[in-house]
Amino acid sequence: MSQKYHMSLRHRLWQNRYFYIFISPFFTIFILFGIYPLAFSLYLSFVKWDGLTPATFVGLENFLTLFQDDEFHASLWNTVAIGAIYIAPMFLLAFLFAQILNSERLPLRGLLRTSVFLPCITPMVVIAIVFSLLYSAESGLFNFLIKVGNAMLPWGKIDPIPWLESERWSKVSVSILLVWRWTGYNMVLMLAGLQGIPLQLYEAATIDGAGRWRQMWHITLPLMRPTFVFCGIMSLIGTFYMFDEVFVLTRGGPGMSSTNFGLFLFNQAFTDFRFGYASAAAYTVAVGVFLTSLIILRWRKPRTD
Amino acid sequence: MRMHFSLWLKWALCALALAIIALIFLFPYYWLFISAFKTREKIFTMPPQFVPDPWVLSNFTDVFQMTHLAGAFLNSTIIALGHVALTLFLCSLGGYAFAKFRRAPGREALFAFVLGAMMIPMAVTMIPLFVMLARLRLVDTYWAMILPGAANAFGLFWVRQYIESNVHDDLLAAARVDGCTEFGLYWRIVLPVAQPALAALGILTLIGSWNNLMWAFIVLRTERMYTMPLLIYLLQGERRVPYGMVMAGGLLATLPLIIAFLFFQRAFIRGITAGALKA
Amino acid sequence: MSLRCFTGFLGLLACAAGCTASVSGADVSIQDTAVKASLEVWGWNIAAASLEKLLPTFNERYPDINVSIHMSGTDMQSRFLLSLVAGVGAPDISQLQLVDAPRFGPSGRMMDLTDLAAKYEKRFSPAFWRNCVHNGRVYAIPWDMGPCAVFYKRDLFARYAIDPDTIETWDDYIAVGRRIVALSNGQTRMLALATQGLIGTFEILIQQVGGGVFDEQGRIIIRSPENAAALEILRGLLTSGIATPVDVFSHEYLASLQNDTIATYPMAVWFGGSIKDYAEPTAGNWGVFRLPAFYPGGLRTSNLGGSVLVIPEQGEQKEAAWKFVEYALCTEEAQLAQYRNFDLFPCLMTTFDDPFFDEPDPFYGGQRVRRLFATDIEKIPVLNRTEDWNQALRYIGQGLSQWHDKRLDHSAFLQDMERKLQRRLGRDVAPGPSQ
Repeated sequence: MSQKYHMSLRHRLWQNRYFYIFISPFFTIFILFGIYPLAFSLYLSFVKWDGLTPATFVGLENFLTLFQDDEFHASLWNTVAIGAIYIAPMFLLAFLFAQILNSERLPLRGLLRTSVFLPCITPMVVIAIVFSLLYSAESGLFNFLIKVGNAMLPWGKIDPIPWLESERWSKVSVSILLVWRWTGYNMVLMLAGLQGIPLQLYEAATIDGAGRWRQMWHITLPLMRPTFVFCGIMSLIGTFYMFDEVFVLTRGGPGMSSTNFGLFLFNQAFTDFRFGYASAAAYTVAVGVFLTSLIILRWRKPRTD
Repeated sequence: MRMHFSLWLKWALCALALAIIALIFLFPYYWLFISAFKTREKIFTMPPQFVPDPWVLSNFTDVFQMTHLAGAFLNSTIIALGHVALTLFLCSLGGYAFAKFRRAPGREALFAFVLGAMMIPMAVTMIPLFVMLARLRLVDTYWAMILPGAANAFGLFWVRQYIESNVHDDLLAAARVDGCTEFGLYWRIVLPVAQPALAALGILTLIGSWNNLMWAFIVLRTERMYTMPLLIYLLQGERRVPYGMVMAGGLLATLPLIIAFLFFQRAFIRGITAGALKA
Repeated sequence: MSLRCFTGFLGLLACAAGCTASVSGADVSIQDTAVKASLEVWGWNIAAASLEKLLPTFNERYPDINVSIHMSGTDMQSRFLLSLVAGVGAPDISQLQLVDAPRFGPSGRMMDLTDLAAKYEKRFSPAFWRNCVHNGRVYAIPWDMGPCAVFYKRDLFARYAIDPDTIETWDDYIAVGRRIVALSNGQTRMLALATQGLIGTFEILIQQVGGGVFDEQGRIIIRSPENAAALEILRGLLTSGIATPVDVFSHEYLASLQNDTIATYPMAVWFGGSIKDYAEPTAGNWGVFRLPAFYPGGLRTSNLGGSVLVIPEQGEQKEAAWKFVEYALCTEEAQLAQYRNFDLFPCLMTTFDDPFFDEPDPFYGGQRVRRLFATDIEKIPVLNRTEDWNQALRYIGQGLSQWHDKRLDHSAFLQDMERKLQRRLGRDVAPGPSQ
């Protein structure tokens, strides 16, 4: 034991004063704009308040209402449904593209990377408006393509699709936009994951006579597992809290059909100005999402068989 | 010969497939671009126009004359740069302290505290932040956009990792012997070494800040404060949307980051990948 | 405190002025340069345009009050509330939907207009004035109302030899619709009715037949035979093949004003302003017939929309703001001008006696449409709104979307809505014969 450990706390604090000086700007902002609102929000979830008239304490009522609120339930269901529609195709595409980018011999990799990645850095509001033009029932490009397809193909006719106008299609329309928007992001993550796999493993497998599919099955997929789990968690969180996409494209409609939790929360908070209720909902879902993430994280470790 | 031909064919098919995929992904940008040069009526013709006829510039002149687009561009720039600068300053100074002052009492606990906060989604703090900023009379100022996200827990974590493994203790010790002040160490030694990490964090912050619609919608209240995404969103008036102007404005909001991306591709991708290392 | 005194003082002044001047708004000719200000006003499309057009005459009277009108488009209510809470960014004057007015009274963020407006109360439609009062204090001034009728295209009716006078009930309307669809080979539909927009038509129908959502005590009365009757009409419109699923004010909808895809538009009077704005070349080709009744001899009008002006307390030029509101809403000159220019139907009932109401209107092929809209206006049943109105409408709108999608049974649907509103709004269900 060196003598340092016997120095008084005061002395140690003084000796490391620059530590506290250097972290103080960060912590000042962090506590003011990160921790204090968190506590404030917890308080809010026990009151009824519209920001204008005085708040009244309502105990657990906000939380109890959540259990009976069809709108809240619908928003959770929509979140899950939209996730179920878009996450699988997005993962497949992202993984395929990452594989392509990772294999040196294929042409046009730069073009692919750039074009798939660009949506990550584009303002969502702009893209959602462009998609709303493409989806337009009467004069949108997608329905025009359906028309052209009908004219060219001799068999079965497809009716024009009311992309944004029907409860049945709105989730699909949002999902297509999401695949377009997030494939690049997941592609980059998966590429990083692929590049983290030691090449020697493949070399050894090739020497052992394992074909490409066997390599994929026994090396790539197991070792990519942490990446997949991570991408899954990010997608889960993203689907719950996304806002711009639905706010601009469908405003959550028709009906409630494309209102995810993020938009529900925004509507409760800033259309209805039910600050207390919105806080209770935000807390409840944050805890739920956090716990779900923990459960998913348990699958992160590759199998050790 | 045969072999060669089949290889070539394979290559060509691959190239074709990739080109088609790339075109599908680029198509919305193409549509944005040509729509910005169409007259309002032509945006909705059936069959759709793939090349504007006539090409018009009026959407651009209109959007500059009829909205505060130039001001919004400036606001977006100030907010994005301010946000990046403040985030980098807070995270690098704090990250350095956490990386190198290993014997400071409370260091581990404080760091764990920050890491825990990374799990909190913005959604939970949104309402109190708004109410707080209103009471501080900061609503409708640049600060309302810059301050809330500046103490980025992930950023602190990320910079600390990088400094821990890239700034060597002996280098710092040597500089101290030479009489360098503590702040001097941070400024002259740590910052230059941490540059790649800061570039990635900066780009990540920049993208988030430039594209932010929801928070801008909540805290920016008057027209002279609007950012590009907010201005474009609000152009969608209730009944007759000036789509031409929306497209022109949208194109102008999209271009800066795309141009920056084409120049600094690697840094962008590193930034995005970095942002993902959170968990 | 000082503000309250100040407005009280203003009120006295205004009253003094009002008592000496006649009630006809003739005092407009007097110039007043005592007030200097630069005002920002929020309104939506037609309404904003209408206020804009009042500025020259307003400035003749108040040359030093500079007014700029902002058409504030999407999410106005959300943005307005955010500004109220934040205490910054609200305009000096804002238009609000009439149905939103009850929400703002209790907030304390609106200028108290009680004393200033007292002398005008008697001249306004009581049903509309009611929405502007909270605990006996006046926080808003009614602007326009939305009596309903059916706008139709004269050329189409002539082409298919249809006499609009033969349409008396909704059944007649549907029958005519079928004929038009058949004769045009499906090229022309009778009306636009999209899933997203059912709530608007539902609101017209329930008010026409005397149904409703809340009673005077704010209790829920949605499960009524009247509402079921309204649903029955709505389903008839939807399933008879005469409607096209085009959302109100979408670009397809606006395009339809100038082509043959849609023959009629059951709408409120202010829709005429939209037609003039979006489809000016169609002038003269429009006609109006009264809203079809539920049964022969039934009421043939209803109300949709209508708005008010408010002055947020946070503004610094409230005196000037009141001058503008007073001019725009409380003078017959300005109210008639707004009807003339943009089809905003006055809440100021003293205007109804003006000969203007009996003039033929060339835009409607010389028809005397204004008197048509004014007819039976006092018979329109009152729709009690409460501060939860918007939320309730949203739930009902979402419900209707499913009611249509899944072809739900009316009474099951209304029962479900009752349960939902009860839970979500924390309101009681009114007792009584609502089975």
